Amino acid sequence: MNEKLHRLVMHAFRGIPSEMTVDFGDGESTVVYGDNGTGKSTIADALEWYFTGEIELLSHEGRQHAVRYVGGDADGITSVEVLTSGTLGGKVLFEAERTPDLFEALRRETFLLRGRTLADFVNKTKTEKWKALVDILGLDAIESLREDLQRARNDLRKASKAVEEEVRVYRRALSETGDTVSEATVLANLQQICGMLGVDPPQSLDQVVEPSWITAAVGASAGVSASSDREGLVADINALADPELDKDAFAAWNKLVSSDRARQLARASLVREAKRLLEAQSIEGGRCPICGQKVDQKVLAKKIESALVEMADAARDLERFRDPILEQADVLESADEQRQSIYDRAKELSLEIPPVPAPPDTPIRDQVEATAPVAIDVFTSYLADVRRWDKAAAKLARQISPAKQSTRDSQLVMLAALCQQIKAWQQAEKKNVRARRALALAETVFDAYQQKQKEDLGSLLTQISGRVAKIYSTLHPGEDLDAVSIEPWTAKGVELAINFYGSRQRPPHGVLSESHLNSLAIALFLAMAATFNEKLGFLILDDVINSFDVEHRGRLAELLADGFTDWQLIVLTHDQQFFEHLSRRAPSWRKIEFTSWSHTSGPRTTKYETSGRLAAARERLQSDDVQGAATKGRRALEELLQEVCEALWAPLPFRRGQANDRREIGELFIGLRRALKEHAKSQLPVVEPIVKHLEADVGATLNVAAHASRGRSGASEVKAALDRIDALDALWSCPACRTRVWHKGTPDAARCRCGKSAFPPVVAG
Amino acid sequence: MHRPSAEEFLLTLLETLDELPPDLAARVAALLKNDHVDRAAALRQLFEDVTGE
Repeated sequence: MNEKLHRLVMHAFRGIPSEMTVDFGDGESTVVYGDNGTGKSTIADALEWYFTGEIELLSHEGRQHAVRYVGGDADGITSVEVLTSGTLGGKVLFEAERTPDLFEALRRETFLLRGRTLADFVNKTKTEKWKALVDILGLDAIESLREDLQRARNDLRKASKAVEEEVRVYRRALSETGDTVSEATVLANLQQICGMLGVDPPQSLDQVVEPSWITAAVGASAGVSASSDREGLVADINALADPELDKDAFAAWNKLVSSDRARQLARASLVREAKRLLEAQSIEGGRCPICGQKVDQKVLAKKIESALVEMADAARDLERFRDPILEQADVLESADEQRQSIYDRAKELSLEIPPVPAPPDTPIRDQVEATAPVAIDVFTSYLADVRRWDKAAAKLARQISPAKQSTRDSQLVMLAALCQQIKAWQQAEKKNVRARRALALAETVFDAYQQKQKEDLGSLLTQISGRVAKIYSTLHPGEDLDAVSIEPWTAKGVELAINFYGSRQRPPHGVLSESHLNSLAIALFLAMAATFNEKLGFLILDDVINSFDVEHRGRLAELLADGFTDWQLIVLTHDQQFFEHLSRRAPSWRKIEFTSWSHTSGPRTTKYETSGRLAAARERLQSDDVQGAATKGRRALEELLQEVCEALWAPLPFRRGQANDRREIGELFIGLRRALKEHAKSQLPVVEPIVKHLEADVGATLNVAAHASRGRSGASEVKAALDRIDALDALWSCPACRTRVWHKGTPDAARCRCGKSAFPPVVAG
Repeated sequence: MHRPSAEEFLLTLLETLDELPPDLAARVAALLKNDHVDRAAALRQLFEDVTGE
């Protein structure tokens, strides 16, 4: 079950100077109404900061420090405490080290949509949309594993080709007819030669590779070893193949790297390096270590990420053209190694042979690494030199060939060399089988992985599209706009599409109004959360209906109230009509009205918090914070008196604007007495002694300034004052149902919810 | 909706493929648990090992 919010406590946070608690019950949906500037969005800010570690708008502007209440005590602690139905709750302090585990766990969760960033996703480019989806779906890690599988496959392919080439060389040496050579033919030939030399013929090729057979057959006569070396050299020279240049592959590579897209590729390594550096170390002091300009690390990280996404398509093309070029490099390197080996062995045998032509100064691999064109002419000329060298080597082979010798020794030497070649060929054939098996397995796994990746993405897009289309059509029924979907766009992009009066529009910006695009954004947000959220069961919509007309506001209210009953929705709005519509449509939702905000006291709501403030005061007292307890106690008393004055219609002088919320506490005492005189004279004798005591408390025990001047005040005095506030509070609550005595009715005749308590109180007898 | 990790994604896939070496999935799982290896090189080695045995 995804977690829901139970309580949010903000301290010295944004526009809250001291503390504010928002109670969500057992995870109930809540609609919060308030004019602009009354502080309602602080709820969204606090939850964003708690669950993501930042408030995006502030981070974007480089003003992360603005989470602190401006003008607060320099030593005051800014904190946000969240209580949830699960384990994600906790308390975080400003600038305290935050554990990245929570952010990592929630990185892919969708929970906050704001009016000011409403159409962000809709307005993203195709690749940015793709990147956002990749983040939400966790495809980056899956893509990274695909790349590793691809690298493993490519390496095995390269290794397999190298072994194939080795086998081909031995086959050429063992067969006069080209590549085709069979074990039976080789064995038959060998048996014939052995017969001619009077040596016991081998019964199988396995026997040939046994050292004991070779020793028994050929013997260890002097000079055999050197002759065998010459024979081996001759055989290797004769097996040399003419390396070929795939000019088409080079031409395709040169065309790609000379194109405009290649310029992006040139930046890719730089951007990748920047990302690596950024991940490895943070930017100290918020300034770029190179140019010294002020820079926000998160903004920079996003820019780098975005640049990398832009380069992804180009990088894929690069990958496609690079492999054949690297294979060519393998061929040329292998050809050079073979010839160097022949040259070295010839020199060891004191034979005259020209030096092997040096490969070009700019190796193919360097050009590939630099994404630069390869000079085809240079390599054509190099291969011409190689061919000339091969001719010189072939001439040497003819000169030293022991074929001219006809002694039995030289024939035995030839037999020994042949056996060595057969052994090497057999080993290469076995290696080749193993390499092909490994490659086949790597290809099977890689191909299936890639296919599954594609199918899963298609299925996910279909799933999201279905939800988006359903939500969108609920908001816009009867309009000839349908089949909203998210569709793949090339390998690394997605785009929104819609049917507009029969024609497919992708993206839909050209045909949809701002409010329709905003509807699409809301539909996407809700669909994403419904599809992918695994941990969070709440969604916050902060002033998202600005561009909606009355009719569509009503439809959205109905959709939220009826279509998301399993979710905890927290809807913040400054639109009274929308608030009332939602309140009617969802009567079970909690309602909070923000009435005003002031610099000194912060946001005010219509919800009275007497018991919460009293509990906080007692907590302070328990932790020996007497002054803190007095401050909380005074606020609790103000809260209680305001509530009573409002409920009993206390006659207080009219004040224009929001000043009714911020009366002096003395005025509230007067209002309470007047209201009781008017509606419940019989209660005055009960209330008056408590009120008198409390008036005294306000001047002394609950007077913060007095505390400061007197130093440490007595905890017992504050406790007694808190008890008196509790006693006054209890007078207005029903002991049976815990609701206020004015729950129903007017100050002339009111009662609690269960009806056991009334106002004015019923006098016994 | 459950979003599989890369490891889960690959292991689920391997379960659906026929005629793989019997202990490939177990060895892939062990390999992917190790964060300190060159994963591509380790995968290549694994493919060679399981087909060469």
